[in-house]
Amino acid sequence: MSYIEIQCGEVLASVLFIIEGELQEIPQAKAIESHLDICPACAAEVEHERVMAQMLQNVLQRSCVEEAPQDLHESIHQRLLAQATGANSTEVITQMRMTEISIEIDEFGNIEHREIQIEQTHIQHFIDDEE
Amino acid sequence: MSSKDLVLESAADRTTRFERDALVFTNQLYAAALRYTKNPEDARDLVQDTYLKAFASFHQFEEGTNLRAWLYRVLTTTFINSYRKGQRQPLIADNELEDWQIADAQSHTSDQGKSAETQALENLPDSDVKRALQEIPEEFRIVVYLADVEGFSYKEIAEMVGAPAGTVMSRLHRGRKQLREKLASYAQELGYVTSDKGGAK
Repeated sequence: MSYIEIQCGEVLASVLFIIEGELQEIPQAKAIESHLDICPACAAEVEHERVMAQMLQNVLQRSCVEEAPQDLHESIHQRLLAQATGANSTEVITQMRMTEISIEIDEFGNIEHREIQIEQTHIQHFIDDEE
Repeated sequence: MSSKDLVLESAADRTTRFERDALVFTNQLYAAALRYTKNPEDARDLVQDTYLKAFASFHQFEEGTNLRAWLYRVLTTTFINSYRKGQRQPLIADNELEDWQIADAQSHTSDQGKSAETQALENLPDSDVKRALQEIPEEFRIVVYLADVEGFSYKEIAEMVGAPAGTVMSRLHRGRKQLREKLASYAQELGYVTSDKGGAK
């Protein structure tokens, strides 16, 4: 019955959705499923497409392996360092200096005088957004 | 110690983390860049630009999310925006999905046709596979590469190329189809498939 509802052509046009497991994305999903149950030719076609898709993936993966030139690795590293430490970045330097003075007089009248110098420098780099 | 120290330290850490986590993909990204740009010089520049851009916005990148997918996204958008200007762009209709569903309604293939096709794919040398990939339109090539070589999902690819998932499916379908046709015809030229086995379309 459902065989009448949908034509082979319609099933075959949706083959990508079937083999990728995305059949639920199309409205005729139910009709396509029941068509496949009763139409061996379409089922064979879908199976062939599945095999071909897998083979194409294997062939592409095998053929597309490349090794980047050695100096590219080095050049990327150098540019990243340059970007991190200066070029294309804003440098913010925060300096702080203070002197802590303490004077203590004990019960015998002895005076103890201390001075402590505190100095701090912070350098921060903010990487500018390109463009 | 102070919050300033923390900020200072994390900037240095960020560089180290980026180099450690992202640079392992250099060969893979270079392979993709070679297929995108079709020449080693542009491929180098594209990979370099990709890393510098990714690094510049690395502070926005959330740890734990997919770094590889993110790098491919930067690579692909950089290529689309900067490297193909001036190149001839194939015309692709807006209503791609309906278009291919109607245009592509096909009939069943014979068993001989099926075996000839699998035989052709098995035997082809790498250089011919790359040649076929170079020859299909750019929009198709990018999507086929991301799906079939790198194994990204439609949704990931849709984000990378900035197109709806339906468009990605349509391009993938057409791209694979054109690729298979090219590979089959190369195989026939090279004599991997004999014509009496039904290698003709």
